Amino acid sequence: MKQCPLFTLLVLIATLPSFAESPPIIAPSAWEKSVLRIEVARKAYDYYQPWNRRNDRAMKTGIVVGERQILATAQDLSDQTLVRVQKNGRGKWTTARVEWIDYHANLALLTAEDAAFWSDLRPANLSGKPPGEGAQLQIVRWREGKLENRQAEFTQFTVRESEGSAINHVQMELDSEIHDAGSGEPVVADLRIAGITFSQRGRACRVIPVSFIRSVLEAHKSGNQRGLGYFHFYWQPAENPASLAQLQLIGEPRGVLVIDVPERLDGSAPVLKPHDIILQIDGFDVDMQGDYTDPEFGPLTLENLSTRGKWAGDDVKMKIWRDGKPLDVTYRLPGYDFQNSLVPIAVRDQPPDYLIVGGLVFQPLTTPYLQRWGAEWERTAPFRLNYYRSDEATKTKPSLVILSQVLPDKFNIGYQEYRSFVVNQVNGQRVTSLTELQAALKQPKDSFHVIDFVPNESLQRIVLAAGEAERQATQRILQRFGITDAVQITSKTVAAK
Amino acid sequence: MFLKTVSVCAVFFATALCFAIEPERSVIQIQTYRQSPDWSAPWRFDAVQRSGGSGFVIRGKRIMTNAHVVSWARQIILRKYQDAKPHIAQVEFVAHDCDLAILTVEDESFFDGLPALEFGELPPVRSTAVTYGYPAGGEEISYTRGVVSRIELSPYSHIGNRRLLTVQTDAVINPGNSGGPVIQDDRVVGVAFQGIPGLEGAGFFIPPPVIQRFLKDIEDKRYDGVPLAGAGITPLQNPAYRARLKLPNNNLGARVDRVRSRTGATNVLRADDVLLKIGEFPVASDGTVLYQGNRVFCALGFQLGQSGDSVPVQLWRDGHAQDAQVTVEAETDDQREGNQYDVQPRYFVFGGLVFTSLSRDYMRDSGREGAETAAGEFNYELFFRSREEPEMTREEPVVLSSVLSDPVNANFSTRGRVLVDRINGIRIEKIADVICAFTTSTNTHDMIEFGKRGTFECLDHAEAVRANDKILKTYGISQDRHL
Repeated sequence: MKQCPLFTLLVLIATLPSFAESPPIIAPSAWEKSVLRIEVARKAYDYYQPWNRRNDRAMKTGIVVGERQILATAQDLSDQTLVRVQKNGRGKWTTARVEWIDYHANLALLTAEDAAFWSDLRPANLSGKPPGEGAQLQIVRWREGKLENRQAEFTQFTVRESEGSAINHVQMELDSEIHDAGSGEPVVADLRIAGITFSQRGRACRVIPVSFIRSVLEAHKSGNQRGLGYFHFYWQPAENPASLAQLQLIGEPRGVLVIDVPERLDGSAPVLKPHDIILQIDGFDVDMQGDYTDPEFGPLTLENLSTRGKWAGDDVKMKIWRDGKPLDVTYRLPGYDFQNSLVPIAVRDQPPDYLIVGGLVFQPLTTPYLQRWGAEWERTAPFRLNYYRSDEATKTKPSLVILSQVLPDKFNIGYQEYRSFVVNQVNGQRVTSLTELQAALKQPKDSFHVIDFVPNESLQRIVLAAGEAERQATQRILQRFGITDAVQITSKTVAAK
Repeated sequence: MFLKTVSVCAVFFATALCFAIEPERSVIQIQTYRQSPDWSAPWRFDAVQRSGGSGFVIRGKRIMTNAHVVSWARQIILRKYQDAKPHIAQVEFVAHDCDLAILTVEDESFFDGLPALEFGELPPVRSTAVTYGYPAGGEEISYTRGVVSRIELSPYSHIGNRRLLTVQTDAVINPGNSGGPVIQDDRVVGVAFQGIPGLEGAGFFIPPPVIQRFLKDIEDKRYDGVPLAGAGITPLQNPAYRARLKLPNNNLGARVDRVRSRTGATNVLRADDVLLKIGEFPVASDGTVLYQGNRVFCALGFQLGQSGDSVPVQLWRDGHAQDAQVTVEAETDDQREGNQYDVQPRYFVFGGLVFTSLSRDYMRDSGREGAETAAGEFNYELFFRSREEPEMTREEPVVLSSVLSDPVNANFSTRGRVLVDRINGIRIEKIADVICAFTTSTNTHDMIEFGKRGTFECLDHAEAVRANDKILKTYGISQDRHL
C-alpha cells in the first residue's frame, strides 16, 4: 500500500504522447448550466473536549453530471447537518442531500428534491480524456455571482494518497494562477470535464482525473458497494543490482523488492513475503523504480494498479520472483476502513468517542485527536502518541486508548496533571478500545479500579475508588463541567481477539 | 524530555562593593580552545572554537570550574586577576553529570599569593550572594549580587538527563561566567552554571552539597558519578490509592512507580512500595523531603552519598512498614540518552558504509530530532524501547550514518541516517556485531537490513573489501574504526 519512506522518488512525471494542441477557449456561459455552488453546514468536534460540538460552514463547487445528480468531492461533507445548492452563482438556495459518498475516492453525489431546481440545468460531459503534456485547461467556478474561468496548465499525473484517506490513486497536477481552489471546481477542456480539484498549494492544483471519477461512478451505478482496495504491503525500489543478485534474479534488473507484509486483520494468509521481487502486476511490467506504463496516463507508481478498475475483494494477478524462481500469485485486495488502522487517520460522520470515569477522560488515539495540537501537530503532539501512527494494527493491538486528561475533582486529587498516557490494562484486563475499557470497569479489584499504562518515564499506574463513590464523583464532575453523557461510543469494535 | 530549555551559560552578578577578604584574587579567567566531534562523520572534528569561562582556587592547588567550560578542550589557558600572563592548565577530574571539573596547573608558582576559597553551607532562600566571574562583554572581573530565590532539583543541561540540587537566583545570566564562585560571608556557596534562555532574572548555581559530594567522590582519584535511586518515584496523594495500599491518609509516603533493571534498587524496591523515609528524611505524599528548610524532590535522599553507598529506607509494603537498604549507584546505562563529552564517538567503516552508535549527540548533530520517520525510529530506540520492550533493547543501537560514495555502494537507495537492524541475518546489538558480521562473512553479498520497515541493501563483499582502503584514503579517514 505504501512505499517505504526512505525512497521518495517514486512519483514520476507522466510522459504522455504530446498532443498539446490548444483547446478552444470555452466561453463561460457553456458551463453556467452545469456548475453549482454548494453550502454545507456541519458539526465540527473538539477532540480535546469531545463532548463539545460547534457549527461549521463550508462552501464547495458541484457539477451536474446526470439525472438530478451533482458531483462533488467528499471533503467537508462529513458530519453535515444541512446541504444547500445554488445555481447561476446567486439567488435562491435549494436544500439538497448527499445521496452517496465515498471518502476514500473523495467523491460524492448530491441531489435535490425540488423538481423546479433542475429545470434549466444541463449535465456536464464526463467523457474527457487525459490531457497531454503542457495542455491548457480551465478551472471553472462561481465567484461573486460571475462564472470565473481560469487558465491552468497540465503538469503531471501522479499516484498519491487520496485527500483524507490512505488509498492511492491517480491524480492530476495543474499549474494555475487561481486562488483558493481545491473545493471541487471542475477542470475543463474541449467542452468536457477533465477532472475536479481537491487541493491547492501555491500555484499547484491537485485534481481527481475524470477517468478515475467515471470508474468510481460506474461501479457505484452498477451496485458495487465494496469500495476501493489497496496493496497492504511495503516495497522498495530494486535499483541495487547486488540486492537482485542476492535474491538470485535471473535476467535484466527489474521489479521491486517487498520489504514488509503486515498481518491482515481479516485473518487471510499473506500472499507476499519480504524479499519477494514483484515483476508484473495484472500483466504490466514493473520497473526498478516501481513504475508501470499505464496505457492512459503513462508511467505511474504500481500502487495505481490497486485502484485501476479494481475494487476491494478483487483479485490482482502478480508475477513475483521468490527463492530463485518465478511464481504466479493472486493478491486479493483488502478493503480500506479508517477503523482498521492502529491510529485512524480520520473519523467521519460520528462524534468523537470518549469515556469519563471519576473525571479521568479516556479516548481512542486517532489522528484527529493528535491534530488538536494545531497546524504543526506532527511536530508538536506528544512524540510517543505520534509515533504509534507508524505501527500497524494487529489482532492483539487493533487500536489504542489513552488517558487524554483529568477533569479535576476531590475524587481524582493527585492525578490532575496526568495526560497522554496509553492504557495497557484496566483491572488486570487488556484494553485496546473503549468498549473493552467499559467492560473492564465493570470488574473492579477489591473495590478499586486499577489502571495500568504502557511503561513510560512518568507514570505507570493509577488507582481509583470503584462503586458508588465513583458513580457519585462522575455525576458531580459531569454536572460541574456541563457534560451531558459520561460515555459516547459510536465506533464499531474493531477486531476480534 | 529531549529538548531541555535550560542552557548552559554564565552567571554574572553586579558589583560587590567591599569584602573583608578579596576573593577576586582567587577567581580565574579561563579560555578554552575546544574541538568537538562531528557525530555523523565520527572520525572528523569541527573547527577549533574559543570560549570563555571562570573558575576559582580551592585547597590543594586546584581550580574548580564547570565541566562544560573545559569539555572537548584542546587547550586551557588561565589568567589570574589583573595579570596578563597566560598559564596552561590540565583537567584533573571532570564530572559531566554534575557539571563540575578540577583543573591543575603545571607551574605551581601560579598559586603564589592566591588564597584557596573555602566552601560554605547551602545558602538560605531570600539571602543574597555575589557571583564573581569573567562574563562576555569585557576583559575584567565582574560581580553580580543576587537573591537566593529557590532551591530544588532541576535539570542539569550539560548532561541533559540528570536532575540534581540547584539554587536559583534572580541574577542576570551572561555567557562566559560559568564556573565562577558564588560567595556569601566570604565562603563559596555555589558554582554558577546555567540560565534559561528567554527567562530573564533567573540564574542557577551548583550548591555546596553537590560540590562536596563531588570532592569526596574524587578523593580516591577516580570519579564515579552521582548515585541515583534506580526507581521512579511519584506522589501518592489520591485517597483511593492510599486506601488500596492500606496506607494511613496522613500525608506521608511517595509511591515507587517503576524500578530500573540492573540497579541497586532492582532487588530491593518494587512497584507500589511506598517510601516513608529515605535516609534521615521523612517523605511527604507529594514526593518531597524537607532538606535544610527547603521542600525538594525526595530523589535527593539518594544523591547525597557516593556510588556504592547503602541508603537506609523505610518502606510501606503489604500493609505495614519495614526497613530496607538501597545500594545507590551512578548509572552508566543511560549515557547515550544524555550528552556525551571528551570521548570520540565509536564508528566502523566498511565499503563506504559508516556505522556509528545511536546517541542523543548523533541525533542532534544529524538534525534527527523531529517526528519524521527516521527521527521517530531513533527517538523510540533511544528513549522508549528500554521501557516498553526491555527484552528487545539493544546494548548499543547502531545507525548507518552515511554512505561514502564509491562504485561499490553507488546503487544504494539509502544514503544513511537509518537504524541498522540486521546484517546477514544477525541482529545488531552493538558496533562490534557489525564488525563481526562483515569480517567473518563468507557471503558473496552482505545483506544489511534497516529500521522497523525492513528496507535492505546488499553489498558485494569481495568488492567492498577491495574498495575499503581506497575509500578511506579518498575521504581522509585514517582508521576504519574507533571503538
